[in-house]
Amino acid sequence: MTPNDQRLLRESTIRDAVAIRSRRAFFGTTGLSLGSAALYALASGDARASSPTTSGVKTGINAALPMTHFAPKAKNVIYLHMVGGPSQMDLFDYKPKMGEFYDKDLPESIRMGQRLTTMTSGQTRFPIAPSMYKFARQGKSGMWMTELLPYTAKVADELCFIRSMHTEAINHEPAITFIQTGNQITGRPCLGAWTSYGLGSLNQNVPTFVVMVANPTNTEQVQAISARLWQSGYLPGEHAGVSFRSAGDPILYINNPPGVSTEVRRKTLDGLNELNQLTHQRLGDPETQTRIAQYEMAYRMQSSVPDLIDLAKEPAATFEMYGDAAKKPGTFANTVLMARKLVEKGTRFVQIYHNNWDHHGNIAKRMPDQTKDVDQACYGLITDLKKRGMLDETLVIWGGEFGRTIYSQGGVSKTNYGRDHHPRCFTMWMAGGGAKHGVIHGETDDFSYNITKDPVHIRDFHATILHLLGIDHEKFSYRSLGLDQKLTGVEPAKVVKALVT
Amino acid sequence: MPRSLIALAVVLLASASSVAADKLQYNRDIRPIFAETCFACHGQDSAARKAKLRLDVREAAIEKGAITPSKVDESEMVARLFLADDDEQRMPPPSSHKKLTALQKLTLKQWIAEGAEYQPHWAFIPTAKPGLPKLKNAAWAKNPIDALVLAELEKRGLTPAPEADRRTLARRAALDVIGLPPNPADVEAFVNDKSADAYEKYLDKLLASPHWGEHRGRYWLDAARYGDTHGIHFDNYREMYSYRDWVIRAFNANQRFDQFTIEQLAGDLLPEPSIDQLTATGFNRNNITTNEGGAINEEYLVLYTRDRTETASTVFLGLTTGCAVCHDHKFDPVSQKEFYQLSAFFNNTTQGAMDGNIRDTPPIVFVPSLDDRPKWATFEKQLKEARAKIDARKAMIRPKFDAFLKEQTTASAAEVATENGIQVRAALDGGKGTAELYTAANATAALKLPAGTTWKPGPFGGEAVWVTPKETGPNALEFPKTVGDFEHTQAFSYGAWVLVPQRGQNAGILSKMDNSKSYRGYDLYLENDKFAAHIVDTWPKLGFKVTTTASFNPNNWHHVFVTYDGRGPAGLKIYVNGESQALTIFGDDRTLGNAGEFKAKLGTIKTDVPFTVGRRTGGQQVKGVAIQDLRLYSRSLAAGEVKDLVVATKIAGLIAGDIKKRKPAEVNEIFEWWIAAKDPESTTLSKDYQALKSQEAAFKARGTIAHVSFEKPSMPEAFVLNRGEYDQRKDKVAPGTPAALPPMPADLPRNRLGLAKWLLRPEQPLMARVTVNRFWSELFGTGLVRTAGDFGISGELPSHPELLDHLAIEFRDLNWDVKAFFKMVLLSNTYRQSAATTPEKLEKDSQNRYLSRGPRFRMDAEMVRDYALTASGLLSSKIGGRSVRPYQPIGVWEAVAMPGSDTRNYKPDDGESLYRRSLYTFWKRAAPPASMEIFNAPNRETCAVRRDRTNTPLQALVTLNDVQFIEAARHLAQATLKAEKDTAARLQSIARRILARPFTDKESAIVERSLSAMLAEYKAKPAEAKKLLAVGDSKPDATLDAGESAAWTMLVNQLMNLDEVLCK
Repeated sequence: MTPNDQRLLRESTIRDAVAIRSRRAFFGTTGLSLGSAALYALASGDARASSPTTSGVKTGINAALPMTHFAPKAKNVIYLHMVGGPSQMDLFDYKPKMGEFYDKDLPESIRMGQRLTTMTSGQTRFPIAPSMYKFARQGKSGMWMTELLPYTAKVADELCFIRSMHTEAINHEPAITFIQTGNQITGRPCLGAWTSYGLGSLNQNVPTFVVMVANPTNTEQVQAISARLWQSGYLPGEHAGVSFRSAGDPILYINNPPGVSTEVRRKTLDGLNELNQLTHQRLGDPETQTRIAQYEMAYRMQSSVPDLIDLAKEPAATFEMYGDAAKKPGTFANTVLMARKLVEKGTRFVQIYHNNWDHHGNIAKRMPDQTKDVDQACYGLITDLKKRGMLDETLVIWGGEFGRTIYSQGGVSKTNYGRDHHPRCFTMWMAGGGAKHGVIHGETDDFSYNITKDPVHIRDFHATILHLLGIDHEKFSYRSLGLDQKLTGVEPAKVVKALVT
Repeated sequence: MPRSLIALAVVLLASASSVAADKLQYNRDIRPIFAETCFACHGQDSAARKAKLRLDVREAAIEKGAITPSKVDESEMVARLFLADDDEQRMPPPSSHKKLTALQKLTLKQWIAEGAEYQPHWAFIPTAKPGLPKLKNAAWAKNPIDALVLAELEKRGLTPAPEADRRTLARRAALDVIGLPPNPADVEAFVNDKSADAYEKYLDKLLASPHWGEHRGRYWLDAARYGDTHGIHFDNYREMYSYRDWVIRAFNANQRFDQFTIEQLAGDLLPEPSIDQLTATGFNRNNITTNEGGAINEEYLVLYTRDRTETASTVFLGLTTGCAVCHDHKFDPVSQKEFYQLSAFFNNTTQGAMDGNIRDTPPIVFVPSLDDRPKWATFEKQLKEARAKIDARKAMIRPKFDAFLKEQTTASAAEVATENGIQVRAALDGGKGTAELYTAANATAALKLPAGTTWKPGPFGGEAVWVTPKETGPNALEFPKTVGDFEHTQAFSYGAWVLVPQRGQNAGILSKMDNSKSYRGYDLYLENDKFAAHIVDTWPKLGFKVTTTASFNPNNWHHVFVTYDGRGPAGLKIYVNGESQALTIFGDDRTLGNAGEFKAKLGTIKTDVPFTVGRRTGGQQVKGVAIQDLRLYSRSLAAGEVKDLVVATKIAGLIAGDIKKRKPAEVNEIFEWWIAAKDPESTTLSKDYQALKSQEAAFKARGTIAHVSFEKPSMPEAFVLNRGEYDQRKDKVAPGTPAALPPMPADLPRNRLGLAKWLLRPEQPLMARVTVNRFWSELFGTGLVRTAGDFGISGELPSHPELLDHLAIEFRDLNWDVKAFFKMVLLSNTYRQSAATTPEKLEKDSQNRYLSRGPRFRMDAEMVRDYALTASGLLSSKIGGRSVRPYQPIGVWEAVAMPGSDTRNYKPDDGESLYRRSLYTFWKRAAPPASMEIFNAPNRETCAVRRDRTNTPLQALVTLNDVQFIEAARHLAQATLKAEKDTAARLQSIARRILARPFTDKESAIVERSLSAMLAEYKAKPAEAKKLLAVGDSKPDATLDAGESAAWTMLVNQLMNLDEVLCK
């Protein structure tokens, strides 16, 4: 507080009736005592330290928001990102009329001059490739689903389908950056980092925000991902995603070196703490105390990880749900099982990447490989979370960075084709965590090319996820480059109420 | 009044009693409030402005009645501020989700009462030499820095800390000047130096160290966003280290900072730029680039220019101009148009949109190694001279050639090409008719052309046969069955000039192969734009295929020739345009053993199907192929012969062709052939030149390249882009600088060079301030302006505005001398304070913004690692060179990289490269060095002038467990065990190396206890000790006792994790 601030309060205005009224409003009328945080807020003019409301709940350790803005539905998120952009019309967006359009050109009235990637912008024809897969209605919702997802079909009524997602990006790098961070240009924090920043940790013995990169069985058309996707952007560095790995140390450097037992490590730390205490006595720097605490936390993290990755104690029923692939480190099934265990331990946000969905060609081979990787695993995750009573508080998200075109890239035949990137519509699903179940939201035209009903932009999607976490996306910001930066950016974004309970 | 408020008032009254009050100041007290809550709607962004009211201009605010100076009651703003929270009339409105605190409202009100005086934004006011303040403790102030710091301390009732002891100071200064812990001997010498200038002498020695440039350079590389990969999608290798090395050399040579700036922004525009000056322009080439399939060029060109503009703005102006990409800046006086005017300076280089996934994306220049540089200049001249001689000779004999060409109307390739062993030669250049003559066994025969055969222009003159076999049927071009009847044990060669207009095909071009008999025979095959040859008895069991590793665009004419020596796959070569190709051999392991040798011998490849063009018999047709000069030899041609064949057929073709249609390039080609064949003088000159060229290759192998900026000849320009979208161009703009800053003089060129010179003009308020502020933050952990990249209105105010101005003016007066500037600060009493704090200081100056004590903070990632390497004696002192790959856990790159990326598989180096300074570590942008990232190293995708400094458990895991740190601990432990005899001496020796001081008694007791515990542990468990000692690439000293070595290793590991070690 500057001398002037102090003078102002001292001199006269503290008696200003208006001011008192407004301050009473500011602190609420409950006679809340003025802690140091509030004093800081008052002194620094921190307009973002919003007042607690009765409906919000207390957040975790080191959370930027002391309370959520309102009661959250979800406490945790498991976000399954399908890298490359799954083909919506081969999986969820059933287009029976396309049978009649086989190898006919996409009508110009549908395409409407939309920009294309330079991979197909030179094509002279845009021959329509109807999906070669059979579709059937599933669950009470009657959602049309592909024959390639027999397990997921069994939990169709737990899912909330959005067939009307759309984005502006048409190539992978900007598109994946957009859906993960709310901006096509790199450098912004991702959803997981925002969640960690806002809601804090539930258990400091495990990382708050974990990232896992699953190994797809088929690697014909793997796309680039990058650590930038889970970096913290302008948010403080501790909110970056922590990689949880299937090879080597599960968390980087978590294992003691060879020849160093837990006991030896403990002794090292005991001496280290004593010496650091002396440093603190000598210099009085509070950071020294923080460091001592961080070393202790590191030790506890080391102790908790072996248990976390040990699947030996999992009952046979687990693998009946997730499939035997879950036993093999690095498979998608294994990562989702790990995700459940992490969330159970208190990890707030788990981001999983599953690659090879970029089907420019050879869908006939690639798509069954992809769906085989994820189908039973997704079923297992949802069933498992539900059995454990965790689904209500855990939001599961499934989807890619954009959709694919109804027309084929290159040649087309009835039994094989490829599809280019398509930003104008794609399908995602959510489950648990306050998402409505058995809901089918949004419609597209007969060509799965344009949205005809209830479009959901990436920003709306982000606003909705934050909403489920108890956060008002408009009020959740971080000061950087002189602006109150938000996940949803400056363009309008809305919570899609139809998706939330 | 609620009880809490009374308490607050009491607290404030008590703490404020000693502080003299002065008038509210717009810059300090008011603008931050406006910027936070009001300017978004009432600032300078005209598009976003509400109620036509702007509060950033006094007259405008008064005119609209928002403010009536000195009359609070008549100021609408005041009335609005104090409305109820839910009142839509309240300002800021509830819908904005912004809210003023009570204190902020009162401040605004008071300011209006005091007359509502505005001030221009502090950073845009020219720097002014501050007067020296009156001080209570004037003796403490060694120089004006101290005086200005002390004045602020005294105002706040704080006193400076005593001077740090010499060991602490020695360590701190070493870490700040060279980024490494001091040599223990240097520390002792300094401690024992009784002369008055002992500290200055110590500093001078450090400042002269070549590690100075490495340490200063490292900070600069963050700002310059240096990295070793392109950054997007494939994220392939970019050979950029010449720029990094230039930065280090520039600091070591103490290049003046103004020149340093000019060369980086515009070295290419200087008169006759040196290699160094060109290398410096890599600053503009460090931005991330893409080569993603499907990416749109213009979209990325816009992004690249934007990045360069933002980087230059952040680094040299401290302005976040990026905000003006889409709209007028909300706070700073940078309109959208001005952003694009500024960007126009950077919008005129020759760099393309796609990086090509290659290491040397144009434009680049060759950079000889430092050792070669003196020789290179001479050599380059020599090379030019040799080239000139050739050209002169050419010019001289050109008339003679022209005469020759005039006379020469027909020429036969046979004249020059070898006929030795030829079996069949078919020129296939007739251009009409249904039959074509060819030569076989010295006799001429007629070859019947299949129905549907047409003609296409040949590679040079003449028409080529154009075969388009139908899907079924015999209408490929077929020779009699006796042609090409070779066995796999025979030597033979075959090939032709070939063109295939449709890419991506898989079909036989030339073949004598029967698909129906398990592909028996041989062929020249087109496999997805690669050329291949099969030699097959029974596929796949007995036979092999050889494929070029390179792909070709078959839509161009290629001379493709297969030579075979009759001895299996290793004896088969494929030549394209006379060049022997790198090949891949495929074959069933029933046929092939190691190195492409036969395991099972083939029976026969002879078939009775004809030698065919356009399809293997019974196989898939080529969708069109043009053929000329087809030859079969019954021997294996040597490489030189194939080359001659290409030239001969080509030249013959060109000479025989229609003179009128002959292009100048073709005439030149004939000329080149002619001088080589007919002018011995030229041949001699050419030989000399070739010898120099091979020397040049050796120079190139020792050197590297630099990615440089080159200006297009056209005038720079840019377009204002609606919402920043690349495809929504509005007005075209010329280069220009923001109106809020001093104007660009008319005599400066409107290009990057003019911009650089404008930045450095004496009236420029930002450049020097921003630069000294960054330097200050390198020493004190935080800049005087904490937001080092944002000196705009939304940035934070300087903690010591007058000190900042003083430093900026001094830096200019020192003629931008970086070393002199640092020395000045390092000599100040402010810098030399002890870092020990007190509860009072923690209360009044918790973040040490007022500098009531010496700087103390956790070191940056690189320093943490370099510290351990230095203290242990492992650090390599080599400076510069190719980036290195030290230890990194497996899978860090592999998890994210594309399968085809050349930075997918991380293979650590060995030997010295494991122990280089961290600024030489290979920086893959999609996966920055793992241990450094954990310590807040940036990803180097965009300019970073400030790093986070977190304190996390993951950091503890790095320094406790990373191989690098364990190996360093073992190294120091074993070296100490050898050098010192008793425990006490050993401990003190270690302490001096890693703390620059001996242990205190209290510490010794703890350390000895730890040591005993470790000794007990490892003496009892020799197997565990051995495992620990085996960590790292270097070998442990086997002459020492394993248990003892392991125990001391763990002790050093413990000590290297001390807070004191990790902090400066």
